[in-house]
Amino acid sequence: MKTNSTDAILVKSLVYAVNGTTILKGVDFRAAYGEIVGIMGASGSGKTTLLKCIAGLLRPTAGEVWIEGVNIAPLSEREKMPLRLRLGIVFQYAALFDYMTVYENVAFGLERHRRLPRSEIARIVKERLAWVGLEGVEHLYPSQLSGGMRKRVGLARALALDPHIVLFDEPTSGLDPVNAYQIDRLIHRLNRELGLTAVVVSHDVTSLFRTTDRIVVIDSGQIVEEGTPEAIRQSEHPKVQAFLRMASTESLEEQAGI
Amino acid sequence: MREELVWQDEEAPQRASVAGVVLEFIGGLTLLLVASVRGLLAGRKEWREMLHQMAFIGATSAPIVVLTSAFTGAVITLYSASLLVRVGGGSFVGGATALAMARELAPILTGIMVTARCGSAIAAQLGTMKITEQIDALRALAVSPVQYLVVPRLIAGLLMFPLLGAIANFAGVLGGGVVATAFEISPFTYLRSIQLFVEPFDFIGGLIKTLVFALIIIMVSCHQGLSARGGAVGVGHATTRAVVLSMVLVFIANYFLADALFARR
Ligand SMILES: Nc1ncnc2c1ncn2[C@@H]1O[C@H](COP(=O)(O)OP(=O)(O)O)[C@@H](O)[C@H]1O
Ligand SMILES: [Mg+2]
Repeated sequence: MKTNSTDAILVKSLVYAVNGTTILKGVDFRAAYGEIVGIMGASGSGKTTLLKCIAGLLRPTAGEVWIEGVNIAPLSEREKMPLRLRLGIVFQYAALFDYMTVYENVAFGLERHRRLPRSEIARIVKERLAWVGLEGVEHLYPSQLSGGMRKRVGLARALALDPHIVLFDEPTSGLDPVNAYQIDRLIHRLNRELGLTAVVVSHDVTSLFRTTDRIVVIDSGQIVEEGTPEAIRQSEHPKVQAFLRMASTESLEEQAGI
Repeated sequence: MREELVWQDEEAPQRASVAGVVLEFIGGLTLLLVASVRGLLAGRKEWREMLHQMAFIGATSAPIVVLTSAFTGAVITLYSASLLVRVGGGSFVGGATALAMARELAPILTGIMVTARCGSAIAAQLGTMKITEQIDALRALAVSPVQYLVVPRLIAGLLMFPLLGAIANFAGVLGGGVVATAFEISPFTYLRSIQLFVEPFDFIGGLIKTLVFALIIIMVSCHQGLSARGGAVGVGHATTRAVVLSMVLVFIANYFLADALFARR
Protein backbone atom coordinates (compact mmCIF):
# COMPACT_ATOMS: atom_id res chain seq x y z
CA MET A 1 0.00 0.00 0.00
CA LYS A 2 1.31 3.43 -0.85
CA THR A 3 -0.14 6.89 -0.45
CA ASN A 4 -1.90 7.80 -3.55
CA SER A 5 -3.75 10.93 -4.37
CA THR A 6 -7.07 9.14 -4.58
CA ASP A 7 -6.89 8.05 -0.92
CA ALA A 8 -8.81 10.24 1.47
CA ILE A 9 -7.76 7.95 4.31
CA LEU A 10 -4.83 5.58 4.42
CA VAL A 11 -4.01 3.59 7.54
CA LYS A 12 -0.81 1.54 7.64
CA SER A 13 0.04 -1.17 10.19
CA LEU A 14 -1.86 0.63 12.92
CA VAL A 15 -1.28 -0.66 16.43
CA TYR A 16 -3.14 0.67 19.44
CA ALA A 17 -2.36 -0.66 22.90
CA VAL A 18 -3.61 0.57 26.25
CA ASN A 19 -3.36 -0.79 29.78
CA GLY A 20 -1.39 -3.82 28.63
CA THR A 21 -3.90 -4.98 26.02
CA THR A 22 -3.35 -4.54 22.31
CA ILE A 23 -6.70 -3.49 20.87
CA LEU A 24 -5.61 -2.94 17.26
CA LYS A 25 -2.97 -5.37 15.99
CA GLY A 26 -1.58 -3.93 12.76
CA VAL A 27 -4.58 -2.65 10.84
CA ASP A 28 -4.31 -1.59 7.18
CA PHE A 29 -7.21 0.39 5.82
CA ARG A 30 -7.93 2.81 3.01
CA ALA A 31 -10.82 4.86 1.74
CA ALA A 32 -10.76 6.56 -1.65
CA TYR A 33 -12.30 9.98 -2.20
CA GLY A 34 -16.04 9.71 -2.57
CA GLU A 35 -16.17 6.15 -1.35
CA ILE A 36 -18.44 4.75 1.37
CA VAL A 37 -16.45 2.16 3.30
CA GLY A 38 -18.00 -0.03 5.95
CA ILE A 39 -16.12 -1.47 8.92
CA MET A 40 -17.99 -4.52 10.13
CA GLY A 41 -17.29 -6.43 13.30
CA ALA A 42 -18.71 -7.71 16.54
CA SER A 43 -18.85 -5.57 19.68
CA GLY A 44 -15.43 -5.22 21.25
CA SER A 45 -13.57 -5.97 18.03
CA GLY A 46 -11.96 -2.51 18.04
CA LYS A 47 -14.18 -0.57 15.61
CA THR A 48 -14.59 2.54 17.74
CA THR A 49 -10.89 2.53 18.61
CA LEU A 50 -9.99 2.39 14.90
CA LEU A 51 -12.40 5.21 14.13
CA LYS A 52 -10.97 7.40 16.89
CA CYS A 53 -7.44 6.76 15.66
CA ILE A 54 -8.51 7.87 12.18
CA ALA A 55 -10.16 10.96 13.68
CA GLY A 56 -6.95 11.74 15.56
CA LEU A 57 -8.71 11.47 18.92
CA LEU A 58 -6.48 8.60 20.02
CA ARG A 59 -2.74 8.49 19.48
CA PRO A 60 -1.67 5.24 17.83
CA THR A 61 1.01 3.19 19.56
CA ALA A 62 2.56 2.47 16.16
CA GLY A 63 1.72 2.86 12.50
CA GLU A 64 0.61 5.64 10.20
CA VAL A 65 -2.70 7.42 9.67
CA TRP A 66 -2.77 9.52 6.50
CA ILE A 67 -5.68 11.92 6.13
CA GLU A 68 -5.75 13.64 2.73
CA GLY A 69 -2.00 13.16 2.38
CA VAL A 70 -0.95 14.15 5.92
CA ASN A 71 0.27 11.59 8.44
CA ILE A 72 -1.47 12.63 11.66
CA ALA A 73 -0.11 9.82 13.84
CA PRO A 74 2.98 11.69 15.11
CA LEU A 75 1.32 15.11 15.33
CA SER A 76 0.61 16.88 18.62
CA GLU A 77 -2.91 17.87 19.64
CA ARG A 78 -2.16 21.46 18.66
CA GLU A 79 -0.89 20.45 15.22
CA LYS A 80 -3.92 18.26 14.64
CA MET A 81 -6.44 21.01 15.41
CA PRO A 82 -6.62 22.59 11.92
CA LEU A 83 -6.73 19.14 10.29
CA ARG A 84 -9.76 18.20 12.36
CA LEU A 85 -11.91 20.57 10.32
CA ARG A 86 -11.52 18.34 7.26
CA LEU A 87 -13.10 15.48 9.07
CA GLY A 88 -16.43 15.12 10.83
CA ILE A 89 -17.35 12.40 13.28
CA VAL A 90 -20.78 11.20 14.36
CA PHE A 91 -20.51 9.46 17.72
CA GLN A 92 -22.34 6.30 18.66
CA TYR A 93 -24.52 8.04 21.24
CA ALA A 94 -24.39 11.35 19.33
CA ALA A 95 -22.39 13.04 22.14
CA LEU A 96 -24.43 16.23 21.80
CA PHE A 97 -23.55 18.99 24.25
CA ASP A 98 -26.39 18.38 26.66
CA TYR A 99 -26.52 21.88 28.13
CA MET A 100 -26.98 23.47 24.71
CA THR A 101 -29.97 23.60 22.40
CA VAL A 102 -29.96 21.86 19.03
CA TYR A 103 -29.23 25.23 17.40
CA GLU A 104 -26.26 25.94 19.68
CA ASN A 105 -24.90 22.44 19.08
CA VAL A 106 -24.88 22.85 15.30
CA ALA A 107 -23.63 26.45 15.48
CA PHE A 108 -20.84 25.60 17.95
CA GLY A 109 -18.07 24.91 15.43
CA LEU A 110 -19.16 27.70 13.10
CA GLU A 111 -19.00 30.32 15.84
CA ARG A 112 -15.45 29.29 16.66
CA HIS A 113 -13.90 28.69 13.27
CA ARG A 114 -15.72 30.90 10.81
CA ARG A 115 -15.97 34.65 10.91
CA LEU A 116 -19.55 34.90 9.84
CA PRO A 117 -22.40 37.25 10.70
CA ARG A 118 -25.09 35.88 12.97
CA SER A 119 -27.64 35.68 10.17
CA GLU A 120 -25.31 33.62 8.00
CA ILE A 121 -24.67 31.18 10.85
CA ALA A 122 -28.40 30.89 11.38
CA ARG A 123 -28.86 30.16 7.69
CA ILE A 124 -26.21 27.41 7.69
CA VAL A 125 -27.61 25.81 10.83
CA LYS A 126 -31.10 25.77 9.33
CA GLU A 127 -29.77 24.33 6.10
CA ARG A 128 -27.78 21.53 7.78
CA LEU A 129 -30.78 20.62 9.92
CA ALA A 130 -32.90 20.51 6.77
CA TRP A 131 -30.35 18.21 5.12
CA VAL A 132 -30.80 15.68 7.90
CA GLY A 133 -34.57 16.10 7.81
CA LEU A 134 -35.03 18.10 10.99
CA GLU A 135 -37.04 21.29 11.09
CA GLY A 136 -38.45 23.29 13.95
CA VAL A 137 -36.34 21.60 16.65
CA GLU A 138 -33.70 24.33 16.98
CA HIS A 139 -34.80 25.42 20.43
CA LEU A 140 -35.05 21.91 21.92
CA TYR A 141 -32.44 20.35 24.22
CA PRO A 142 -30.89 16.94 23.41
CA SER A 143 -32.79 15.31 26.29
CA GLN A 144 -36.04 16.25 24.55
CA LEU A 145 -35.13 14.35 21.36
CA SER A 146 -35.51 10.72 20.34
CA GLY A 147 -32.43 8.57 19.66
CA GLY A 148 -32.80 8.88 15.88
CA MET A 149 -33.21 12.66 16.07
CA ARG A 150 -30.14 12.94 18.29
CA LYS A 151 -28.02 11.08 15.76
CA ARG A 152 -29.27 13.35 13.02
CA VAL A 153 -28.40 16.44 15.05
CA GLY A 154 -24.97 14.89 15.62
CA LEU A 155 -24.65 14.53 11.84
CA ALA A 156 -25.81 18.11 11.24
CA ARG A 157 -23.20 19.30 13.75
CA ALA A 158 -20.48 17.28 11.99
CA LEU A 159 -21.56 18.69 8.61
CA ALA A 160 -21.64 22.32 9.76
CA LEU A 161 -17.98 22.93 8.92
CA ASP A 162 -18.10 21.29 5.47
CA PRO A 163 -15.85 18.29 6.16
CA HIS A 164 -14.57 16.20 3.26
CA ILE A 165 -14.74 13.00 5.26
CA VAL A 166 -17.41 11.89 7.75
CA LEU A 167 -16.89 9.01 10.18
CA PHE A 168 -19.98 7.29 11.54
CA ASP A 169 -19.81 5.19 14.72
CA GLU A 170 -22.73 2.77 14.70
CA PRO A 171 -25.14 5.19 13.00
CA THR A 172 -28.06 2.76 13.10
CA SER A 173 -27.54 0.94 16.38
CA GLY A 174 -30.40 1.34 18.80
CA LEU A 175 -32.73 2.61 16.07
CA ASP A 176 -35.93 1.02 14.79
CA PRO A 177 -35.83 -0.21 11.16
CA VAL A 178 -37.59 2.89 9.81
CA ASN A 179 -35.16 5.30 11.45
CA ALA A 180 -32.22 3.09 10.53
CA TYR A 181 -33.34 3.09 6.90
CA GLN A 182 -33.62 6.87 6.90
CA ILE A 183 -30.12 7.28 8.31
CA ASP A 184 -28.73 4.92 5.68
CA ARG A 185 -30.46 6.89 2.93
CA LEU A 186 -29.05 10.07 4.39
CA ILE A 187 -25.48 8.75 4.32
CA HIS A 188 -25.99 7.60 0.76
CA ARG A 189 -27.45 10.93 -0.35
CA LEU A 190 -24.69 12.99 1.28
CA ASN A 191 -22.16 10.83 -0.50
CA ARG A 192 -23.84 11.16 -3.89
CA GLU A 193 -24.76 14.85 -3.66
CA LEU A 194 -21.78 16.32 -1.78
CA GLY A 195 -19.16 13.78 -2.74
CA LEU A 196 -18.40 13.06 0.92
CA THR A 197 -16.10 10.23 1.79
CA ALA A 198 -17.82 8.17 4.47
CA VAL A 199 -16.57 5.52 6.86
CA VAL A 200 -19.39 3.63 8.53
CA VAL A 201 -18.57 1.47 11.52
CA SER A 202 -21.31 -0.97 12.42
CA HIS A 203 -22.33 -4.44 13.45
CA ASP A 204 -25.59 -3.96 11.52
CA VAL A 205 -25.08 -6.24 8.50
CA THR A 206 -28.27 -5.19 6.69
CA SER A 207 -27.39 -1.53 6.97
CA LEU A 208 -23.80 -1.99 5.77
CA PHE A 209 -24.79 -4.15 2.80
CA ARG A 210 -27.21 -1.60 1.44
CA THR A 211 -25.15 1.54 2.17
CA THR A 212 -21.50 0.85 1.41
CA ASP A 213 -19.31 0.47 -1.67
CA ARG A 214 -16.79 -1.69 0.14
CA ILE A 215 -16.65 -3.47 3.49
CA VAL A 216 -13.74 -4.48 5.68
CA VAL A 217 -14.36 -7.02 8.41
CA ILE A 218 -12.52 -6.57 11.68
CA ASP A 219 -12.13 -9.26 14.30
CA SER A 220 -10.20 -8.88 17.58
CA GLY A 221 -8.29 -5.88 16.26
CA GLN A 222 -7.33 -7.41 12.90
CA ILE A 223 -8.78 -7.00 9.42
CA VAL A 224 -9.82 -10.48 8.32
CA GLU A 225 -11.64 -9.80 5.05
CA GLU A 226 -12.27 -7.02 2.59
CA GLY A 227 -14.38 -6.60 -0.53
CA THR A 228 -17.60 -5.36 -2.07
CA PRO A 229 -20.79 -6.19 -0.15
CA GLU A 230 -21.42 -8.95 -2.70
CA ALA A 231 -17.93 -10.43 -2.21
CA ILE A 232 -18.31 -10.30 1.58
CA ARG A 233 -21.59 -12.17 1.30
CA GLN A 234 -19.80 -14.91 -0.67
CA SER A 235 -16.73 -14.90 1.59
CA GLU A 236 -15.26 -18.24 2.56
CA HIS A 237 -13.58 -16.85 5.67
CA PRO A 238 -14.94 -18.76 8.68
CA LYS A 239 -15.15 -15.65 10.91
CA VAL A 240 -17.11 -13.76 8.26
CA GLN A 241 -19.42 -16.69 7.62
CA ALA A 242 -20.09 -17.12 11.31
CA PHE A 243 -20.81 -13.42 11.70
CA LEU A 244 -23.17 -13.29 8.71
CA ARG A 245 -24.93 -16.48 9.74
CA MET A 246 -25.70 -15.05 13.14
CA ALA A 247 -27.05 -11.87 11.58
CA SER A 248 -29.21 -13.73 9.08
CA THR A 249 -32.97 -13.97 9.28
CA GLU A 250 -33.13 -17.74 9.05
CA SER A 251 -34.80 -19.38 11.98
CA LEU A 252 -32.60 -20.97 14.60
CA GLU A 253 -33.76 -24.45 13.48
CA GLU A 254 -32.66 -23.79 9.90
CA GLN A 255 -29.31 -22.48 11.11
CA ALA A 256 -28.72 -25.54 13.24
CA GLY A 257 -29.14 -27.66 10.11
CA ILE A 258 -26.23 -26.01 8.31
CA MET B 1 6.42 8.15 18.39
CA ARG B 2 7.06 11.46 20.07
CA GLU B 3 6.15 11.52 23.76
CA GLU B 4 5.32 15.04 24.78
CA LEU B 5 5.23 16.52 28.22
CA VAL B 6 1.96 18.34 27.71
CA TRP B 7 -1.56 17.77 28.98
CA GLN B 8 -3.24 15.03 26.93
CA ASP B 9 -6.96 15.12 26.37
CA GLU B 10 -6.90 11.43 25.61
CA GLU B 11 -7.69 8.92 28.29
CA ALA B 12 -4.63 8.25 30.42
CA PRO B 13 -3.65 4.63 30.96
CA GLN B 14 -4.56 3.13 34.31
CA ARG B 15 -1.75 2.79 36.84
CA ALA B 16 -1.57 -0.29 39.00
CA SER B 17 0.61 0.87 41.89
CA VAL B 18 -0.15 3.53 44.50
CA ALA B 19 3.05 5.39 43.63
CA GLY B 20 2.00 5.33 39.99
CA VAL B 21 -1.39 6.80 40.83
CA VAL B 22 0.14 9.57 42.97
CA LEU B 23 2.71 10.43 40.29
CA GLU B 24 0.00 10.38 37.66
CA PHE B 25 -2.10 12.76 39.76
CA ILE B 26 0.70 15.24 40.45
CA GLY B 27 2.01 15.02 36.88
CA GLY B 28 -1.44 15.32 35.30
CA LEU B 29 -2.41 18.23 37.53
CA THR B 30 0.83 20.07 36.76
CA LEU B 31 0.49 19.56 33.02
CA LEU B 32 -3.14 20.69 33.12
CA LEU B 33 -2.10 23.79 35.08
CA VAL B 34 0.62 24.60 32.53
CA ALA B 35 -1.84 24.11 29.66
CA SER B 36 -4.41 26.31 31.43
CA VAL B 37 -1.98 29.13 32.14
CA ARG B 38 -0.86 29.00 28.54
CA GLY B 39 -4.49 29.08 27.42
CA LEU B 40 -5.18 31.93 29.82
CA LEU B 41 -2.42 34.08 28.39
CA ALA B 42 -3.01 33.28 24.74
CA GLY B 43 -5.86 31.80 22.84
CA ARG B 44 -9.54 32.40 22.38
CA LYS B 45 -11.40 33.69 25.42
CA GLU B 46 -14.74 32.03 25.98
CA TRP B 47 -16.46 35.08 27.44
CA ARG B 48 -19.92 33.55 27.61
CA GLU B 49 -18.75 30.46 29.39
CA MET B 50 -16.69 32.66 31.74
CA LEU B 51 -19.61 34.91 32.68
CA HIS B 52 -21.75 31.84 33.17
CA GLN B 53 -19.17 30.33 35.52
CA MET B 54 -18.73 33.61 37.40
CA ALA B 55 -22.45 33.73 37.99
CA PHE B 56 -22.43 30.09 39.02
CA ILE B 57 -19.49 30.33 41.43
CA GLY B 58 -20.39 33.77 42.76
CA ALA B 59 -24.14 33.77 42.93
CA THR B 60 -24.75 30.22 44.06
CA SER B 61 -22.02 30.30 46.71
CA ALA B 62 -22.64 33.77 48.15
CA PRO B 63 -25.69 32.94 50.33
CA ILE B 64 -24.09 29.88 51.87
CA VAL B 65 -20.78 31.72 52.42
CA VAL B 66 -22.65 34.58 54.13
CA LEU B 67 -24.61 32.22 56.33
CA THR B 68 -21.69 30.07 57.49
CA SER B 69 -19.41 33.08 57.99
CA ALA B 70 -21.98 35.01 59.99
CA PHE B 71 -22.50 32.10 62.37
CA THR B 72 -18.77 31.43 62.61
CA GLY B 73 -18.12 35.09 63.45
CA ALA B 74 -20.92 34.86 66.00
CA VAL B 75 -19.56 31.76 67.73
CA ILE B 76 -16.00 33.17 67.88
CA THR B 77 -17.40 36.29 69.50
CA LEU B 78 -19.46 34.20 71.87
CA TYR B 79 -16.34 32.50 73.25
CA SER B 80 -14.00 35.49 73.19
CA ALA B 81 -16.56 37.88 74.69
CA SER B 82 -17.55 35.55 77.54
CA LEU B 83 -13.86 35.27 78.46
CA LEU B 84 -12.67 38.80 77.79
CA VAL B 85 -15.62 40.63 79.37
CA ARG B 86 -14.97 38.71 82.60
CA VAL B 87 -11.43 40.15 82.80
CA GLY B 88 -12.51 43.57 81.63
CA GLY B 89 -11.20 43.17 78.10
CA GLY B 90 -14.41 43.88 76.23
CA SER B 91 -12.58 46.32 74.00
CA PHE B 92 -10.54 43.44 72.52
CA VAL B 93 -13.55 41.47 71.30
CA GLY B 94 -14.06 43.17 67.92
CA GLY B 95 -10.37 42.91 67.09
CA ALA B 96 -10.22 39.23 67.99
CA THR B 97 -13.19 38.34 65.81
CA ALA B 98 -12.15 40.44 62.85
CA LEU B 99 -8.56 39.18 62.98
CA ALA B 100 -9.66 35.54 63.10
CA MET B 101 -12.07 36.11 60.23
CA ALA B 102 -9.64 38.05 58.03
CA ARG B 103 -6.63 35.79 58.41
CA GLU B 104 -8.17 32.35 58.73
CA LEU B 105 -11.89 31.83 58.80
CA ALA B 106 -13.12 33.87 55.84
CA PRO B 107 -10.67 32.28 53.36
CA ILE B 108 -11.12 28.76 54.73
CA LEU B 109 -14.91 28.99 54.87
CA THR B 110 -14.99 30.33 51.33
CA GLY B 111 -12.79 27.45 50.22
CA ILE B 112 -14.91 24.82 51.93
CA MET B 113 -18.23 26.18 50.75
CA VAL B 114 -17.18 26.69 47.15
CA THR B 115 -15.63 23.21 47.04
CA ALA B 116 -18.87 21.71 48.28
CA ARG B 117 -21.00 23.82 46.02
CA CYS B 118 -18.94 24.25 42.83
CA GLY B 119 -15.94 21.92 42.94
CA SER B 120 -18.26 18.93 43.03
CA ALA B 121 -20.45 20.38 40.27
CA ILE B 122 -17.42 21.06 38.04
CA ALA B 123 -16.08 17.53 38.50
CA ALA B 124 -19.50 16.02 37.84
CA GLN B 125 -20.13 18.08 34.73
CA LEU B 126 -16.71 17.55 33.16
CA GLY B 127 -16.77 13.88 34.18
CA THR B 128 -20.14 13.38 32.52
CA MET B 129 -18.91 15.15 29.40
CA LYS B 130 -15.87 12.87 29.39
CA ILE B 131 -17.71 9.57 29.65
CA THR B 132 -20.44 10.57 27.16
CA GLU B 133 -17.78 11.49 24.55
CA GLN B 134 -18.70 15.20 24.68
CA ILE B 135 -15.03 15.97 25.37
CA ASP B 136 -14.11 13.99 22.25
CA ALA B 137 -16.84 15.85 20.36
CA LEU B 138 -15.23 19.15 21.39
CA ARG B 139 -11.84 17.98 20.17
CA ALA B 140 -13.37 16.70 16.93
CA LEU B 141 -14.74 20.21 16.35
CA ALA B 142 -11.18 21.53 16.83
CA VAL B 143 -12.00 23.12 20.18
CA SER B 144 -9.56 22.53 23.02
CA PRO B 145 -11.32 21.26 26.16
CA VAL B 146 -8.75 23.11 28.28
CA GLN B 147 -9.42 26.38 26.47
CA TYR B 148 -13.18 25.97 26.43
CA LEU B 149 -13.84 24.37 29.82
CA VAL B 150 -10.90 24.82 32.19
CA VAL B 151 -9.69 28.35 31.42
CA PRO B 152 -13.09 30.06 31.89
CA ARG B 153 -13.61 28.25 35.19
CA LEU B 154 -10.15 29.21 36.38
CA ILE B 155 -10.64 32.89 35.50
CA ALA B 156 -14.10 32.87 37.09
CA GLY B 157 -12.65 31.27 40.24
CA LEU B 158 -9.76 33.73 40.49
CA LEU B 159 -12.17 36.65 40.16
CA MET B 160 -14.96 35.39 42.41
CA PHE B 161 -13.02 33.85 45.30
CA PRO B 162 -11.57 37.14 46.66
CA LEU B 163 -15.00 38.69 46.31
CA LEU B 164 -16.58 35.84 48.25
CA GLY B 165 -13.75 36.09 50.80
CA ALA B 166 -14.51 39.79 51.30
CA ILE B 167 -18.20 39.04 51.71
CA ALA B 168 -17.33 36.32 54.23
CA ASN B 169 -15.29 38.83 56.24
CA PHE B 170 -18.12 41.29 56.28
CA ALA B 171 -20.70 38.67 57.27
CA GLY B 172 -18.45 37.28 60.02
CA VAL B 173 -17.79 40.68 61.57
CA LEU B 174 -21.48 41.49 61.36
CA GLY B 175 -22.46 38.19 63.00
CA GLY B 176 -19.88 38.84 65.72
CA GLY B 177 -21.19 42.36 66.21
CA VAL B 178 -24.70 41.11 66.89
CA VAL B 179 -23.46 38.69 69.53
CA ALA B 180 -21.21 41.38 71.03
CA THR B 181 -24.20 43.57 71.81
CA ALA B 182 -25.56 40.74 73.94
CA PHE B 183 -22.42 41.12 76.08
CA GLU B 184 -23.05 44.84 76.34
CA ILE B 185 -20.23 45.74 73.98
CA SER B 186 -21.45 48.70 71.98
CA PRO B 187 -21.12 48.71 68.18
CA PHE B 188 -18.81 51.69 68.58
CA THR B 189 -16.43 49.79 70.91
CA TYR B 190 -16.61 46.76 68.64
CA LEU B 191 -15.67 48.75 65.52
CA ARG B 192 -13.04 50.79 67.37
CA SER B 193 -11.43 47.54 68.48
CA ILE B 194 -11.31 46.30 64.89
CA GLN B 195 -9.72 49.58 63.84
CA LEU B 196 -7.07 49.24 66.54
CA PHE B 197 -6.09 45.62 66.14
CA VAL B 198 -6.61 44.75 62.49
CA GLU B 199 -4.32 46.03 59.77
CA PRO B 200 -5.21 46.21 56.09
CA PHE B 201 -2.66 43.50 55.39
CA ASP B 202 -4.58 41.01 57.55
CA PHE B 203 -7.48 41.46 55.18
CA ILE B 204 -5.34 41.49 52.02
CA GLY B 205 -3.38 38.43 53.15
CA GLY B 206 -6.67 36.59 53.60
CA LEU B 207 -7.70 37.48 50.09
CA ILE B 208 -4.34 36.26 48.76
CA LYS B 209 -5.15 32.95 50.43
CA THR B 210 -8.48 32.76 48.59
CA LEU B 211 -6.67 33.21 45.27
CA VAL B 212 -4.45 30.21 46.00
CA PHE B 213 -7.49 28.20 47.16
CA ALA B 214 -9.30 29.10 43.93
CA LEU B 215 -6.37 27.79 41.91
CA ILE B 216 -6.31 24.53 43.91
CA ILE B 217 -10.05 23.87 43.91
CA ILE B 218 -10.73 24.71 40.27
CA MET B 219 -7.70 22.86 38.93
CA VAL B 220 -8.26 19.74 41.06
CA SER B 221 -11.96 19.62 40.17
CA CYS B 222 -11.34 20.10 36.45
CA HIS B 223 -8.54 17.53 36.51
CA GLN B 224 -10.67 14.94 38.27
CA GLY B 225 -13.57 15.56 35.89
CA LEU B 226 -11.43 15.29 32.78
CA SER B 227 -9.79 12.09 34.07
CA ALA B 228 -13.09 10.35 34.84
CA ARG B 229 -13.59 6.95 33.26
CA GLY B 230 -16.18 4.25 33.36
CA GLY B 231 -19.85 5.02 33.71
CA ALA B 232 -21.93 6.91 36.25
CA VAL B 233 -19.88 5.26 39.01
CA GLY B 234 -16.73 6.77 37.50
CA VAL B 235 -18.28 10.23 37.61
CA GLY B 236 -19.25 9.64 41.24
CA HIS B 237 -15.68 8.68 42.11
CA ALA B 238 -14.30 11.71 40.28
CA THR B 239 -16.68 14.01 42.17
CA THR B 240 -15.83 12.54 45.56
CA ARG B 241 -12.12 12.68 44.83
CA ALA B 242 -12.37 16.27 43.62
CA VAL B 243 -13.97 17.35 46.91
CA VAL B 244 -11.68 15.35 49.20
CA LEU B 245 -8.46 16.27 47.38
CA SER B 246 -9.43 19.94 47.14
CA MET B 247 -10.15 20.10 50.87
CA VAL B 248 -6.97 18.35 51.90
CA LEU B 249 -4.82 20.49 49.61
CA VAL B 250 -6.58 23.68 50.77
CA PHE B 251 -5.84 22.90 54.41
CA ILE B 252 -2.21 22.03 53.66
CA ALA B 253 -1.77 25.17 51.56
CA ASN B 254 -3.44 27.20 54.30
CA TYR B 255 -0.76 26.24 56.79
CA PHE B 256 2.09 27.27 54.51
CA LEU B 257 0.33 30.46 53.48
CA ALA B 258 -0.26 31.38 57.12
CA ASP B 259 3.42 30.78 57.76
CA ALA B 260 4.49 32.87 54.79
CA LEU B 261 1.99 35.71 55.19
CA PHE B 262 1.36 36.16 58.89
CA ALA B 263 3.78 34.18 61.07
CA ARG B 264 6.53 36.80 61.09
CA ARG B 265 4.31 39.78 61.73
N1 LIG C 1 -9.23 2.48 27.64
C1 LIG C 1 -9.33 1.15 27.50
N2 LIG C 1 -8.70 0.34 28.36
C2 LIG C 1 -8.79 -1.00 28.21
N3 LIG C 1 -9.49 -1.61 27.26
C3 LIG C 1 -10.15 -0.85 26.38
C4 LIG C 1 -10.11 0.57 26.43
N4 LIG C 1 -10.86 1.05 25.43
C5 LIG C 1 -11.35 -0.02 24.77
N5 LIG C 1 -10.93 -1.17 25.34
C6 LIG C 1 -11.22 -2.53 24.87
O1 LIG C 1 -10.90 -2.61 23.52
C7 LIG C 1 -11.81 -3.42 22.83
C8 LIG C 1 -12.35 -2.71 21.61
O2 LIG C 1 -13.13 -1.61 22.01
P1 LIG C 1 -13.98 -0.78 20.95
O3 LIG C 1 -13.06 -0.19 19.95
O4 LIG C 1 -14.84 0.16 21.70
O5 LIG C 1 -14.87 -1.91 20.27
P2 LIG C 1 -16.17 -1.79 19.36
O6 LIG C 1 -16.39 -0.36 19.04
O7 LIG C 1 -15.86 -2.63 18.15
O8 LIG C 1 -17.29 -2.39 20.13
C9 LIG C 1 -12.88 -3.81 23.83
O9 LIG C 1 -12.65 -5.14 24.22
C10 LIG C 1 -12.67 -2.88 24.97
O10 LIG C 1 -12.98 -3.51 26.18
MG1 LIG D 1 -18.01 0.86 19.49
